[in-house]
Amino acid sequence: MSLWKQFLRQSWWIAVGYFIILEAALVAAILYWPRFRDNMPAITKLVPFRAIQDLLASMEHAGYWPYLAVQQWFKGCSLFGVAAIAFIGSGIIAREQDQRTAEFLLSRPVSRRRVLLVRHLVLSLLITLPVFLSSISAVWISRGVGEYVGWGEVLVSSLFMSLFLWSLVSFTTLVSTWSTHQLTAGAVVVGVVLASFAMYLVEGINQWSPFALVDVRVFMAIHDGVYPWWAAGGFVLASLTMLHFADRHLAHRDF
Amino acid sequence: MQVKPGEIVGLAGPNGAGKTTLFKCIVGVVHADSGSIHVDHMDAIAHPLKARKLIGYAPSETALYHQFRASELLDFAIGFHPQADRSLGRSLLDELGVPRRRRVGALSHGMKRKVLLAQAIASGAPLLIMDEPMEAFDPAARGVAISLLREASAAGRAVLCSSHDLTSIERLCNRVVFLHGGSVLRQGPTGTLLAEAGRLVHVTLRTPVDGVSLPERNGWCWSGSDRKWTLIHEGSPEDVLTAIADLPIASVRIGEGSLDEIFAALYAEPQS
Repeated sequence: MSLWKQFLRQSWWIAVGYFIILEAALVAAILYWPRFRDNMPAITKLVPFRAIQDLLASMEHAGYWPYLAVQQWFKGCSLFGVAAIAFIGSGIIAREQDQRTAEFLLSRPVSRRRVLLVRHLVLSLLITLPVFLSSISAVWISRGVGEYVGWGEVLVSSLFMSLFLWSLVSFTTLVSTWSTHQLTAGAVVVGVVLASFAMYLVEGINQWSPFALVDVRVFMAIHDGVYPWWAAGGFVLASLTMLHFADRHLAHRDF
Repeated sequence: MQVKPGEIVGLAGPNGAGKTTLFKCIVGVVHADSGSIHVDHMDAIAHPLKARKLIGYAPSETALYHQFRASELLDFAIGFHPQADRSLGRSLLDELGVPRRRRVGALSHGMKRKVLLAQAIASGAPLLIMDEPMEAFDPAARGVAISLLREASAAGRAVLCSSHDLTSIERLCNRVVFLHGGSVLRQGPTGTLLAEAGRLVHVTLRTPVDGVSLPERNGWCWSGSDRKWTLIHEGSPEDVLTAIADLPIASVRIGEGSLDEIFAALYAEPQS
């Protein structure tokens, strides 16, 4: 049994659960769209945060696409994706120490870098594959409520969201290489994400939150054919940098 | 210290002596503060991956991937070794009485130890490192394990193992190394150490005595302090009893010639 199979075996069920929840939330959101559209002005008045009011205002003006973007990528993938990343990713290395299997694994003739990269790659696929599958299904499900979305914009949006989630996977990988307990690593990741989201809700500092990079404005731009290359490049660069530091730290760590 | 092909070396010492840390340094799980480690003339610190290909390691820790079946864990463990023999591994599991299809999480401590022993031998590596390989084994399993390790040694593989069970070390090992605080305290062929153990005299005194008050002869070596002293001598026990007759003796015990005896003499009291 190879390294990737071993990690996949202990993680696949969380990834499947994540996909099912993501898909169920998407279906529910799409089916709710006709009622939401009819009641949008009243709903907008009830929302307390300015940032969320802006999201609703954009839906009022542009219709279904921003609604789908918020439901599927900004809310669905961010919320459930982060949960799945925290559950699985926190254990990439910390779980080995937590469960005292690190000595057994790392005394095999396999490099620590390979262990890290294989697990990182498997986790990245487990997190991003459901984003694509679920988003593609939205193209068909939307037709059921009389809405049409283009393949291109869905695929580009999924790719962009996947890059954002990949940077979160890399951050989690870095935290996991530093932690001695999986729970600590998970708590750090969830804490940082919650703090970032809280930042997003506070007017004046919300532009500094990572969630500002995946809010409805970005997906509206993608809808208009303006692709966020800089942000996407930033995600890639941040991911690679964090992976580099995770690799360096793991190489020098004692177990 | 050195382990040669075909040799079985036993590492002994109290808890905290550095046995497990030494093993972890050799396999690269812990980074050594100083010193050097060579496996088959190769620097194991500079080339840990290449070195680990030459080592079949059975850690003392039995926390393993509990969702695996015993045979799957064996396959996973030896899958990284270029010279591994899977069929040998499975037959070793059978020989040791491990149910191959049972989940590792459902195996007893002793059964997990057997899986670790089997995977180390089946790795095909020329150096076997075993941390407490026979801990929790029943006498029959211990006998099987000893014969398996002897077979490995007879095939030219070097074996380095640690144990708190010095009787097993006595039965298994050609050479014994006693560690203390991460350093070699005493080492030698098992036969020589056992002969030395037969020349031990344990003396308990009624009143404390310092080392300079003890009688000296050629080849004598005292260890201990205050009222409890141990002597390694060259002559006959009768000569010793004559020489110490003037001391305020409470009791005298002549060594029984076992590694336990050596261990007690080396670690029971501060070294003088």
